[in-house]
Amino acid sequence: MRLRPKRTPVSAAILWIYSLLTLLLLCYMTYQSLRPKKELLSATFAMPKQLGFGNFRKLFAEAGFFTYLLNSAGILFASLALVVLLSTMVAYGIGKFNFRFKGGLLLYFLIGLMFPVQLGIVPIFLLIRDMHLLNSQWAVILVLASGLSMPVFLLTTFFAKLPHDLYESAKIDGAGEWTTFMRVMFPLASPVTFSVCIIMSMQIWNQFFVPLIFLQSESRKTIPLMIMKFTTNVLYNMDLALVGSVMATVPLLILFFFFSGRVIEGVATGGVKG
Amino acid sequence: MAWIRSKPFIWFILPGFLLYSLFSVYPIFSAIQISLTRWDGIGKKTFVGFGNYGELFSNPELFRQLTNALGHSATIFALNALVVLPAQLYLAYLIYGKIRGHRFFQAMIFSPQFIATPVIVFMGTLVFDGNIGVFNKLLETVGLGGWTRPWMGLPELGIYIVWLLVAWSGIGVGMIFFLGAMKMISGEIIEAALLDGASYWGRFFRIVLPQIKTTILNMLILTYIFAMTLFDYSFILGGASGGINRSVDVMALFFYRISFGDNSAVGGTTNVNAMGMGTTIACVMFVIVFAVALVQVALTYRRAED
Repeated sequence: MRLRPKRTPVSAAILWIYSLLTLLLLCYMTYQSLRPKKELLSATFAMPKQLGFGNFRKLFAEAGFFTYLLNSAGILFASLALVVLLSTMVAYGIGKFNFRFKGGLLLYFLIGLMFPVQLGIVPIFLLIRDMHLLNSQWAVILVLASGLSMPVFLLTTFFAKLPHDLYESAKIDGAGEWTTFMRVMFPLASPVTFSVCIIMSMQIWNQFFVPLIFLQSESRKTIPLMIMKFTTNVLYNMDLALVGSVMATVPLLILFFFFSGRVIEGVATGGVKG
Repeated sequence: MAWIRSKPFIWFILPGFLLYSLFSVYPIFSAIQISLTRWDGIGKKTFVGFGNYGELFSNPELFRQLTNALGHSATIFALNALVVLPAQLYLAYLIYGKIRGHRFFQAMIFSPQFIATPVIVFMGTLVFDGNIGVFNKLLETVGLGGWTRPWMGLPELGIYIVWLLVAWSGIGVGMIFFLGAMKMISGEIIEAALLDGASYWGRFFRIVLPQIKTTILNMLILTYIFAMTLFDYSFILGGASGGINRSVDVMALFFYRISFGDNSAVGGTTNVNAMGMGTTIACVMFVIVFAVALVQVALTYRRAED
């Protein structure tokens, strides 16, 4: 396609300035995280007298960074596994089989697109309290994993388009329903599942509201809550706020830049809800 | 047993159905029911009909907070719809046209999506803080020292700072959605336009925008739901109280404050009625979201049907 404009110097300049500003901001934050607290506050813009990893040592040794990291990772993997398994099963059931109320059921699963978790949080809180799961990571995992609308929608569209022969031939080979699903259908859906994983991980990893409501003790909290703890008292905790932010951001972004093509493609596929 | 055997899909759908129903659908109906009672969450529930709704709209303090928060949410939506959305279309079109460096641009513009909200707010502090902020330093350097302000702490700017952070972090997702939609436009349509000699921007307005109008509508609805339920930024910037003079207060934060408390009593009744009044506000938010969101569900359902 010959779509390239002859010349759009103004647009190019805007893109360069915007992108470089973002990059510069990230570099600036990383640079400041290497400076001791006293210098940070008293000589923010002066030439650095010393640069080092002292703040990082403090974050790992005293502030318990790895506890938060482990909590965040645990919640991410458990909710992601639940979402992927449950939504693939539901979508396969709706997309591949014919039964009455099929359309109604799909609509029922789409209704969730209208209800951000904030709206139902009081009854959810009471439910979790009655299940004695307050201050447990399971509360966060269950609530986040119940957001099945977007994955169910994406996967149902996929399974509905899948040729029926595949299902038939698996059946002829004598595979049961569950084996057909696990051995044939689940692997076939992996491009869509990948897209679901990307979108859901971004949502779950940066989730702030649900962990805030349910996790009270410091040993259970996630990385976004850790950073919030440092930034609410930012003058006192400037060093920890900086290294905490860097550790929560920079490794993830480096990873993203390596795979940005695939990640962005995955997000584009799931262009329903962000 | 034979009946269930002939319907294997039930076993596939049931686990997801239960979890989804319990935590995503039931809470909405439960919230409506609780909003009709006077309840602190522990003691006895008293049925009061629409009493809570009456109080929300007639208690001057509560009503003032409601309109203030709603106004802020609406401001965020308006700015997103009028500034961010066109910017997303513009950026998506440039990248669609494979402008030199488009891979780098799209990665950079999208990257803040991976940054947790508290970090984004903190980066805002690094730039706009009165003492250690880069922006003030920049103003001084170019000789505009008289213009320096503690930008993050000015109540009259509060909600615009929230918007700025929201825009920076979220602009990439919409751009990628639009880009995805643009790539779906068939080559023939574009080629026909090229033969007609339409200019670069002429094609944008006459071919590309009309072709992706469903995606634009969908994005507009998402923006609306997002703005009406925004919570993180305001909470991190201003705490449960919503900042100085509630300058960054939004609907979801107002609702959170009433339901889960903010250590400072608002009027006398809200503490003994935290759950009742909290869910009442949630239901009002729900009505605000519902009408618009219904369109989105209809659009999505139609896409799934095709």
